[in-house]
Amino acid sequence: MLSGIKTRLSNVRTIKTLCESAENYALQDQQRQAGAEHFLLAAIDLPDNTARLAFREVGADAAGSRDAVGAQYREALRSVGVNAGEHISGGLIPEPLQAAAGLYEAAPSGAEVMKELAANRNDHRPLLGAHVVAIVAAMEQGVAARALRCMGVDPAGLKAAANKFSRTSNRHTGPMGA
Amino acid sequence: MIDVRQLPTPDEPEEALAAVVALRRAADLLERRAVRAALKQGWSWAKIAQALGISKQAAHKRLSDINAQDNPP
Repeated sequence: MLSGIKTRLSNVRTIKTLCESAENYALQDQQRQAGAEHFLLAAIDLPDNTARLAFREVGADAAGSRDAVGAQYREALRSVGVNAGEHISGGLIPEPLQAAAGLYEAAPSGAEVMKELAANRNDHRPLLGAHVVAIVAAMEQGVAARALRCMGVDPAGLKAAANKFSRTSNRHTGPMGA
Repeated sequence: MIDVRQLPTPDEPEEALAAVVALRRAADLLERRAVRAALKQGWSWAKIAQALGISKQAAHKRLSDINAQDNPP
């Protein structure tokens, strides 16, 4: 019972970290609300390391996710004949917006991630980056899905890898090995 | 200039919708940079709003966090 309470408290802290980090990525991306791609980047930053391990399992480097977000914007612009410079089309540029006051609000794709996390909260012992990766990898459309395609990542394979590491980690405590 | 002949056809919705998202984002970025430059040059919010084709209130509500002193890369 005590471990259950500890896990729930830990999950609340992880959710807070995840939301704050996702919002920070969104603001750097000139967006006021965090989308699924921002939650993916935030999950990769979590200290449990399971998100990075899931990417590694499918032969991808999670560190390339940030560039991939920018790459999919550039690719989409090129498809309509716009060759915008990095300063306009880049994914995450050092010109962040300021956080707005008021309640936390995610973009629809980010809200979908949060909704899925809430629906599966009883399976999170504890909540890990891999859980977020599994949810985002299951999204067929959107910036995150296109970014994964830009990285050459098979979404189904990534989801399976993320599920594997989230299950494995249920038997571990602390960060998993790099 | 966008060459309309290069636009994705309606039977390519995935590519077309991705382009819509990227164009909106690029437009937002360009708008913020242009407004910052306008403020640096002493433009009033009324003049900026007129140039954008929106009301002064709408311009101020959406863009008032832009600081003319900011120096983006």
